[in-house]
Amino acid sequence: MPDFGLSEEQRSLQELARKFARTEMAPRAAECDRLGRFPEEVMRKAWELGLMNLNIPTEYGGSGLGLVDQCVIVEELAHACAGMTTSVIANCLALEPILLGGTPEQKQSVLTPFCSSYHLASFCLTEPGGGSDAGALQTRATRDGDHYVLDGEKCFITNGPHASLYTVFATTDPELRHKSICAFYLPRDTEGVTVGREEEKMGHRASSTSTVRFEKARIPVANRLGAEGDGFSIAMRTLDQTRTPIGALATGIAQAALDHASAYALKRHTFGKPISEHQAIQIKLANMAQDVHASRLLTWNAAWEIDHGRKGTLESSIAKCFASDAAMRVADEAIQVFGGYGYMKEYPVEKLLRDAKLAQIYEGSNEIQRIVIARELLRRYA
Amino acid sequence: MEIVVAVKPVPEAETRLRPDASHASLDPEGVKFVLAGYDESAVEQALLLKESTVGSRVRVLSFGPAPRTEEVLRAAVALGCDSATWVEHPSDLLPDAVLSARCIATAIAGPFSGLVLCGRQSGDEEGGIFAGALGALLKVPSLGYATNLRWKEPRGQLTLQRSIEGGLEEVESSLPLVVGLQQAWNDPRTAKLPNILKSRKAAIEKIPWEATVATLGPHAIPGTVRRTFRLPPPRTGAKMIRYDSPQDAAAQLVRLLREEAKVFP
Repeated sequence: MPDFGLSEEQRSLQELARKFARTEMAPRAAECDRLGRFPEEVMRKAWELGLMNLNIPTEYGGSGLGLVDQCVIVEELAHACAGMTTSVIANCLALEPILLGGTPEQKQSVLTPFCSSYHLASFCLTEPGGGSDAGALQTRATRDGDHYVLDGEKCFITNGPHASLYTVFATTDPELRHKSICAFYLPRDTEGVTVGREEEKMGHRASSTSTVRFEKARIPVANRLGAEGDGFSIAMRTLDQTRTPIGALATGIAQAALDHASAYALKRHTFGKPISEHQAIQIKLANMAQDVHASRLLTWNAAWEIDHGRKGTLESSIAKCFASDAAMRVADEAIQVFGGYGYMKEYPVEKLLRDAKLAQIYEGSNEIQRIVIARELLRRYA
Repeated sequence: MEIVVAVKPVPEAETRLRPDASHASLDPEGVKFVLAGYDESAVEQALLLKESTVGSRVRVLSFGPAPRTEEVLRAAVALGCDSATWVEHPSDLLPDAVLSARCIATAIAGPFSGLVLCGRQSGDEEGGIFAGALGALLKVPSLGYATNLRWKEPRGQLTLQRSIEGGLEEVESSLPLVVGLQQAWNDPRTAKLPNILKSRKAAIEKIPWEATVATLGPHAIPGTVRRTFRLPPPRTGAKMIRYDSPQDAAAQLVRLLREEAKVFP
């Protein structure tokens, strides 16, 4: 059985992340949300403190943290602002394919610069014509001597406008679907790479999102990760690693909603007493607390499984799916506890609902997670 | 050159304090002890001096019980202190500032470099005695309320500022010296994640209580004894005004000030 307590080391990491979240992220969260502003200064400070690139091993200058450690940090950051958190952890997603599919030389040359100075990378998988059905991607990689020529468009790319490196998935033959997908990395300044305008989003407005277009962009064969056709597996194994922290991000949003709602319920009076003394409100808070607690435990459990060398496919899908659905419920109820004030942008809870929504969609929609859960489940009965 | 900093683990400012069963001490259950306030400024000052002098090091010392003292020392190492010494005492001992100074003086007596920094008072008991007591025990001068320490060329002299009634004074001193630092003037740094990870593995020199007692002799312990520890009584007397309009609120307030508080006729 796992030990449900955190180690002293994990507690110090939690403290660092909490302090950063409170002092650097939270004071800017409302403003960045209102203006759709990407807080470059917060990102740089997160990098300086070592809160970015959490998954890069120490041999390349990273922190080499396990997934439980990462989840502890991500939850604290997301408590202050989920949008900024998504941008802070986007490097983990973008660089994971290199960790999984790169040669020692590729890892050394690509990962080390990210740890020695501030750079952002973006993971480019989703296309305008399809997200969940990654096997159907249309971006073409055509071999030309010792290069590939890349043509196509990727969308919803986190940190797209600010990244200096893209990891891109493209097919050498769309007919062959999964079997023909390759993973590449290329610098943003490669000729033929253009970044589209920043998207206006419902939530996660402090995070920057754009399209990235490739028009006859030439990539050396040496920038391919693994063999031709390894790309789909690299993409899926990447998401196996990064899905669990999304559960932690959702837990952070839900915990923030519960904290705001509880504090407000103790202060707000109706019918001659604080609304926290009305059972209608107590029941809401109790249900919210159950959702938060379950989300955290499911997330830590999935991370623990993966840290202990198991695949954790079932556990991480359950954690991501449950925690993001729970974050929606909890944020929704927090608004209800605040009543009319909760619907106003002047109060912090409506943002939580808008932010929570994305967690149900990105890094594998919750419908895909349920397909995965059912497949893993039924395999055990077959 | 080795700069010594002495720190004390104190309850985090947001902690809710409760007396323990003896009513003489704080119940440590659920209390998070941290490096705070004056001590954070002292550590930051030590690190700034270290960074301005090639080849200097910072040694941090703390006198206290397990596990809080070790945690605070690791936090100081994560910030950049080079070595740490834990002068241990049993958890049921309630040392006063003079005993703390005696124990710290014993621990630094060996290779004493000449500069000891500490907070001008502890963040919890706020006695303001430690720096003076330590100076007396080491037979060196001590100064409190200090900010902005700088080496003065040629080395071996320091300048510093002190907040005094109505102004700031600039002081010059030779070493050896004990300095008690003000808080909230030098924006203490935050430890970086890789340094936090390294600090978990750092070696911490531990001086067992028996060794300290053997050096000091049993007559030194305890000095003063705290008999009771109480929380301040809950605040009373606040009265909320329920109102329909600002005019109504002001009218009610004026009436209460006149009729109940009787602050004007």
